[in-house]
Amino acid sequence: MIQARTNPPEAARVDTIPRNRVSDFEQWRIVTLHQLGHYLRTNRFYGLVGFVALISALTLAGQVDAGIAAVQVQQLYRSSEYLSNGLMYTGLWVILAAAFFGGDALSVDFSTGAGYYMLVLPIKRPVLLAGRYAAATLVTLAVVGVNYLFDTAGAIYFFGAPSIPWALLADSLGIACLFALAALSVAFCVSAFVRSPPAGVLITILALYVGFTILQAVVELVGVEPWFSLTYAGGAMAAVLDTDFVHIQNIPLGEDQYYTIWVATVNEGLAIMASYVAVFLPLSAYLYQRKESTG
Amino acid sequence: MGSFRVAELSKLFRAGSLAVDHVTFAYEGAGAVGCLGPNGAGKTTLLKLLVGLLRPTQGHAFLNEIDPMVDRKGALWDVGALIETPEPYPTLNVHEALDAVGRSRGLSRDDVDREVDRCHELLDLPPLGQRIGWLSKGQRQRVSLAATLMGDPSVLLLDEPTSGLDPAERVLVRRLLNQLKRDHLVLMSSHQMLEVTEVCDQLIFLDHGRVLLRDRVDTVAARIRSRQVNVEFERPVAPGAMEGLRAIGAEIALVSEKRWRISFDGRDETRVRLLEICQTLGPVVQFANTSLVLEEAYLELIPKPVEPA
Repeated sequence: MIQARTNPPEAARVDTIPRNRVSDFEQWRIVTLHQLGHYLRTNRFYGLVGFVALISALTLAGQVDAGIAAVQVQQLYRSSEYLSNGLMYTGLWVILAAAFFGGDALSVDFSTGAGYYMLVLPIKRPVLLAGRYAAATLVTLAVVGVNYLFDTAGAIYFFGAPSIPWALLADSLGIACLFALAALSVAFCVSAFVRSPPAGVLITILALYVGFTILQAVVELVGVEPWFSLTYAGGAMAAVLDTDFVHIQNIPLGEDQYYTIWVATVNEGLAIMASYVAVFLPLSAYLYQRKESTG
Repeated sequence: MGSFRVAELSKLFRAGSLAVDHVTFAYEGAGAVGCLGPNGAGKTTLLKLLVGLLRPTQGHAFLNEIDPMVDRKGALWDVGALIETPEPYPTLNVHEALDAVGRSRGLSRDDVDREVDRCHELLDLPPLGQRIGWLSKGQRQRVSLAATLMGDPSVLLLDEPTSGLDPAERVLVRRLLNQLKRDHLVLMSSHQMLEVTEVCDQLIFLDHGRVLLRDRVDTVAARIRSRQVNVEFERPVAPGAMEGLRAIGAEIALVSEKRWRISFDGRDETRVRLLEICQTLGPVVQFANTSLVLEEAYLELIPKPVEPA
């Protein structure tokens, strides 16, 4: 029979199922797999992979149609130049994937019943966030990986496998990982801040792609290096493969007038991306921890 | 042995509404506590405060003596909570959705399977391979209830657990709750008086965030007197013969050929007198309260809404 607090407790339950205290790390692994299982069955995952594959395949088909000789001339007979140019849109793919998988990763808990399923479990919120972050990173890399696969396949076709700078390609992939982490940190932060999942996705795309691109162009016009822009930092993914890399280009506009274009160096890009992770990921965790289920 | 306790707990929302107003109570052991009140009384808010989904404006909540605001993992470790309408990811199947819950509660893979089987039997779950997105509302609710029970936590917090279920499913859940309360501590909010009457031992009546009454169900039942009885005679009774009841202040209404509804002042002496008169009119097959005791208590405690002009 139920007792008031001051009364002596009843006999302990029998047939209790043995449960071991689960470490945060183990729970992180469980949440990651749970979230990954969800992401890998969503239409948005197949849609993004399909879209990136389609654009990459069409680009490759156009190059094949132009012929090996034409492509080799165009790319200065360098496979690294080909690979670098082929990663032109990688930043966009990363941002789209980050927005679609991170832009609603946390807000879904406060706008749908998902939170009433997960947030009542004995899991710390930062652990939940970390699990979802890891799963979102993996699917984002899967999307970006398609772009890399087509790019590498094209380089092998036009220049032969021995000419591929595998170490630099791996470096570029590593930078893409960091770029994905940075973009996802921003997406998670937006997601922890807004209530509506579609709004989180849209704001992430607008902020990371449209907003930064416009802002970058404006500050370049007044002669300032866009060191604050994540999309600017994303250029490092291609820059690492570019053998003729130029950090600053001055384009003459008229008499004594120049328009300066900056391209992020690898170190600069890495520093900017790491800063975004360092600022936005803890901020997401803080906002998520404080958020209430008021709906 | 599970426990939950709230001390001077208040929640003021930004809009200015005081959803929970200095609520204090504590329970431990095994049994079921029913939380009753009209819409907006603060029942769900109270449950959300208990599990840390909301931050108290004032006071503290404790689950098994741990404040979820301080140690969420520790507080929820031995607690199963079904709040509002939980929605597992629609892309996952039933087993996957329950597996994540069981594993995060510290069950081994084998124990998860055993627990899923146990819940499958208890709650008549849909096929385990079926995706959540394809389930009906009632099936999803049963999966959520199963998730609450995974790992057999000692404290169960249930926010209208039979919401969205059909009558047969409701009976199933009520039976289950009656079994569970023998060795679990259950706090359930509900609009269903029958459910609370059948399941709960203790009651908390809430209105406008305040506790109006907190007592044992049988104590409340003893306090509240029903003011309406149904009488069924073996044979039809002529309306004229029933007029005698009006003499003692009762209102009568014909329900069917042999059944009458009698409203009176609720006093025991009047009830005895009514029965005596009815027995003079013919053999009485049934003489019983028309409404549940808790319903009477509810209506007595909760102010009636103003009727539209």
